[in-house]
Amino acid sequence: MADAEPAAGAAVTVADLTWRPLGRARPVLAGVGFVLAPGERVVLAGPSGSGKSTLLRVLAGVLDPEDGELAGHVEVGGRAGLLLQDPRDAQVAERAGRDTAFGLENARVPAATMPAAVAAAHAAVRFPYGPSRRVQALSGGEAQRLALAGVLVFEPGLVLLDEPTAMLDPASAAAVRDAVLAAADASRATVVVVEHRFEPWSPFAQRVLLLDASGRLAFDGAGDALPEADGVWQPGRPAPRPLQLAPALLAPAAVASPGTVVLRAERVAAVPASTGRGAAVVQDLDVQVRAGSILAVQGPSGAGKSTLAAVLAGLAPPASGAVALQPPLAEPAVAPSALSSTRLAGLVGWVPQEPELAVVARTVRDEVLATPRALGMGREERADELLAVLGLDEPDEDPHVLSGGEQRRLALAAALAHGPAVLVLDEPTVGQDPGTWAAVAGVLLAARDAGVAVVVATHDPLLAALADDRLALPGRAPEPEQLAPRVRALGRRAGPLGLLLSGALLLAGSAPITSPLPGALGLLAVAACAPFVVGGGVPARRLLPPLVAALSLGIATLLFGTVHDVSAALTAALRIAFFAVPGVALAALIDPSALGDALGQRLRLPARPVVAATAAWLRFGQLADGWRTLRGVRRIRGLARPGPIGRVRELAALTAAILVATLRQAARMAVAMEARGFGTATRRTWAADSPWRAADTAVVLLAAVVAAVPVLTVLLAGTGVG
Amino acid sequence: MTDRAAVLDRRTDVPAAGRPGSWRVVDLVTAAMVAVAFGVVFWGYDTLVYPAIGLATAAVPPLAELSLGVWLLPGVVGGLIVRRPGAALFTELVAANVELLLGNQWGVTVLASGLLQGVGVELVFLLTRWRRFGVGVAMAGGALSAVAEIVAYEWWSYVPSFSWPAKLLYLAAGVVSGAVIAGLLGWLLVRGLARTGALAAFPAGREVRATGRGGR
Repeated sequence: MADAEPAAGAAVTVADLTWRPLGRARPVLAGVGFVLAPGERVVLAGPSGSGKSTLLRVLAGVLDPEDGELAGHVEVGGRAGLLLQDPRDAQVAERAGRDTAFGLENARVPAATMPAAVAAAHAAVRFPYGPSRRVQALSGGEAQRLALAGVLVFEPGLVLLDEPTAMLDPASAAAVRDAVLAAADASRATVVVVEHRFEPWSPFAQRVLLLDASGRLAFDGAGDALPEADGVWQPGRPAPRPLQLAPALLAPAAVASPGTVVLRAERVAAVPASTGRGAAVVQDLDVQVRAGSILAVQGPSGAGKSTLAAVLAGLAPPASGAVALQPPLAEPAVAPSALSSTRLAGLVGWVPQEPELAVVARTVRDEVLATPRALGMGREERADELLAVLGLDEPDEDPHVLSGGEQRRLALAAALAHGPAVLVLDEPTVGQDPGTWAAVAGVLLAARDAGVAVVVATHDPLLAALADDRLALPGRAPEPEQLAPRVRALGRRAGPLGLLLSGALLLAGSAPITSPLPGALGLLAVAACAPFVVGGGVPARRLLPPLVAALSLGIATLLFGTVHDVSAALTAALRIAFFAVPGVALAALIDPSALGDALGQRLRLPARPVVAATAAWLRFGQLADGWRTLRGVRRIRGLARPGPIGRVRELAALTAAILVATLRQAARMAVAMEARGFGTATRRTWAADSPWRAADTAVVLLAAVVAAVPVLTVLLAGTGVG
Repeated sequence: MTDRAAVLDRRTDVPAAGRPGSWRVVDLVTAAMVAVAFGVVFWGYDTLVYPAIGLATAAVPPLAELSLGVWLLPGVVGGLIVRRPGAALFTELVAANVELLLGNQWGVTVLASGLLQGVGVELVFLLTRWRRFGVGVAMAGGALSAVAEIVAYEWWSYVPSFSWPAKLLYLAAGVVSGAVIAGLLGWLLVRGLARTGALAAFPAGREVRATGRGGR
């Protein structure tokens, strides 16, 4: 490919491709073959587990051949870019521009040319904000368009999209499809889209490749010639009919007569349960949930559907207003968030939006029986029937190896086995094919007919059409970018290395503190400098741990020191406080992105580990959200136990669960990063530089002066005495 | 019982694929993310159980070091999962940085602790040339990690005025904690994770599959 040629589509040839992962008896892809012309656009469809995602990974060149047996021939005449289902898996940076530049940094493009390339990619996907927009503040659809920009920025000849709209509401999904369309027209890239529901894509891609459940190519041709096939949402066919089920299967343990308001929210305001702070997404809302009735909560992404669902289920108290379970379920009426784990579980069932965070047991059957057992109920027959109805026919399998759609159905079975009178669901139909959709819808209708009060947050219009009542939450205007206030405090203008070096100087300066006086004077010097260095920016709760540490070491020294006197104890406490308190305050000013840049560029640490670590640090908030969800799930499933032993067990269970979720996310992140050229980027360019500023010099000099106070005190005291 | 022991032994010797020093993207990202997940666990630990332990050990402060092993978990677990030179050290350092950014008791010195702790675990894996990953190796790693942290740092920085018997009690408590919490519990944790299929891309996951347990 000569440089003079404009970016054009890549030709793709796949012949007799077979892939069998380690530990599986049957191949996931079996003898697949097809040819794509440059610039051609196709939809790749098939039931879940048919190898669609695997095929995309083969084409993207990110399948690890160590993981199984690969046979056949694959040829891609150009670079391939891969977009995954969840845009969060692709995020590597704190701000939008830096995130998009990741592929350019890996390809060692000079930093000076990056802003123009990033701006062009953002324009191509119609990204509505500037490059300094925080990635965390984006809605799902905006984040997915940003991820697409990150793929397009290195001008791939082949663009691979893995269910890019599965997690989005209809309006956001349409915006993403438009962005793909516009970008493909502009770049003339070859495009392969994996989709369950390909009707919306049909104006874009006429050719359909259909894989069957055994991983064979069952159909290759025009979409409207597609024969009727299981497991695929086909254009022009009527909505599937919900499965007819006997309501007795879902009879609640506590019955209220149909129409009774069993859960009431009055003038409720709620903030996203995950963060527990920030602007309320739900405001001044009244909701009445009735026995024997389905309430659908609708609205665009970010409107607060999940937040409202969590508050109604009692996972979090509302920010203001009241939520209460009503008689006859609770006499007197009581807030669900105030109930004990077992009492809440007895009344409310919950299906979270992230089904892999809902797993609490080692086998599918134990998962469904976990809550009945915790409540001392025998529900084996009901559990087995629910599993059969929902098409989960491997009861001894580990829930973690199920597909996302299967995990969602398992979470539904597990929420209902013990017969709660209230059922709250968050997006239960994502990832379902027509057959399993009918089963999920059938279970909800049967639960309603049995007298259960059902609340379902959804952007599935087919599901919402089955509801008795609908609540539409208004969308929110996106928050404007906060302009950074002009900072005065020295530490806030310093970079990470200046701050770290200052902390290290104070540690060194603590060594001469062998009596209380130098420690006390040193601490006074620290206190005198604090307003100039940190300003009012460090919250007091951050400073509590080092103060407690200093105090407890003082006490320990009093009891276990070589000299049992108060002066030695005071010395120990002052020495720790002298370096630990300012050390914590300085560390609080370090920006993770800037730290990564400094470690990679100024300290010249190996680039790949530094970049991987930086991407991981930025996930802390997301993993902490996962932890809260896991805790909420265990509480609402009746598994949280009071007392010290209960807490230790809870900690062990949560640790294992958060690690499982983390490992799975890391695997997806690795695919996304590798597809953007990270695998070979042992050397890279950096989109942002890491300057040593005057503020760094100033803060280090100041730290050196403070660090010298104890030793000077000792020297002066020495001469004074002498 | 001996059969079972033999099986356990054989299952813990699968080294990393390819050249040991050639890290894949998934190795780097997984080690870093495991470290951050432990940052979340530490934060949960602080809210769920740490106050109770603080009360329980208040009478004999050197015993407070019995909780040291919790902080050594990332290195052991990262080393057991990735099985490449530097994995334990990298994971422990990233975890130390999480504590640094998030707030902790000691300020920037947490980085020095992370370095020493990581080197301690790494040394044990080095002695086996990254070929042995059994429970004994894991416990030795946790113990040596504690020794490095206490002897090279905490004795001189946190408790220099302790008497020698108290210092040795402090060390013993830390070593027991490192071996049991970081070593034994860390090893059990990795085995449990492998059974969920979450380690499919790693040697630990392949060990489980080789014996036909878990996965599909």
